[in-house]
Amino acid sequence: MTIHRVIRKVQRFQGWFGGGAALCLGAGLYLGLIGSPPDYYQGEVVRIMYIHVPLAHTSLLGYTVLALGSLWYLWKRDPIVDNMCQAVAALSAVFTALALGTGMIWGKPTWDTWWTWDARLTSFTVLLLILIGYIMLRTFVDDHEKEARYGAILAIIGFVDLPIIHFSVEWWRTLHQPQSISMRGVSISSGLLAPLLCMSIGMSLLFSYMVMVRTQLLYLDRLLHAKKGRLLSQFHLSKSDS
Amino acid sequence: MTNLSIRWGGLLVVTIVLVVLTYNHYQDNITSLVPQQVRKEAPTGEIRVLGMVQGRTLKTREAGEATFTLLGKSATLPVHYQGPPPDNLRELKILILIGTWNASTQVFEARDIGIVPNYGFIAGAYLLGLLPLALFLFAMTRRVNFLYEEIKASKLYEEK
Repeated sequence: MTIHRVIRKVQRFQGWFGGGAALCLGAGLYLGLIGSPPDYYQGEVVRIMYIHVPLAHTSLLGYTVLALGSLWYLWKRDPIVDNMCQAVAALSAVFTALALGTGMIWGKPTWDTWWTWDARLTSFTVLLLILIGYIMLRTFVDDHEKEARYGAILAIIGFVDLPIIHFSVEWWRTLHQPQSISMRGVSISSGLLAPLLCMSIGMSLLFSYMVMVRTQLLYLDRLLHAKKGRLLSQFHLSKSDS
Repeated sequence: MTNLSIRWGGLLVVTIVLVVLTYNHYQDNITSLVPQQVRKEAPTGEIRVLGMVQGRTLKTREAGEATFTLLGKSATLPVHYQGPPPDNLRELKILILIGTWNASTQVFEARDIGIVPNYGFIAGAYLLGLLPLALFLFAMTRRVNFLYEEIKASKLYEEK
């Protein structure tokens, strides 16, 4: 089964992804804002975690999909996968920017600063710059085949940043707290874990749903452009014939 | 009414309900008085009082028991705290005390101490996190609908 068949099959369940995202995010927001207790040290401000962490996780997940899709594109030159990669890149950039923004808001009451050149924050900003670079590359190169190929190469090279982001809190002494959920176990109380999981699942489903909508949008946009181009050339041909 | 309007209208209604529920929840839980209000109104029942621990007034007797003066803008309150051993009770620290006002002894009897909540930051983070996503998704869905209509109108599939 080729990958674009898988994409088409998954797209049939688009509505389920959207509904699932709405349900999980609704439950997560209720648990996060009303149902969960405040943190012993941070107090109420800990509730920002339920929006910041899922956004950050989802942007990393999005970049992983982009890198894998780019590898697949370079191997098979599948235009549907390329379309999906382009959709994923734009959405990952939005999620990354929002993760940085919510992190800055969380940083002010906890660290008493909006921004610091901390290893985690800096490597995450580099990820945003890579994504912006990818989008610019796809916008300004005229040849579609070339833009897809260069974009895929950039996405694969940029993947180096992901392990740096992940391990930055262990490799360097940082202000950013270490991971609460890792292979070593879970260092977060169940009262705080439930809304975090709910929001993370909801955000991943929302991201998948948005990718499906954007992939569709890019496909239809290209279809319409091709159609208009064909009509225009037919019109010119008929003009020159007459 | 189109399918798109129904879906987004429903989502908007659910969001408004959630916002109202959250707002009411926080209003019930965070409304706090200041020392001058406590002196003036002498409320009965449990209340939350916001103020700063006045310098050189904090005396800790044993773990979980302390006396100090809570400073407001134009009034002070003598406080007798008895509850879980507090981590955040320090001089010149702004905090919220939960307890009852004893009008006969003119002492506020606190049973718990809370950190001053930063609800502005929480509301800001949630708005920044969710609003752009919702707007972006709405714009994309509308554009997809528009493109479908355009393609239908241009009769793409009827051509040879």
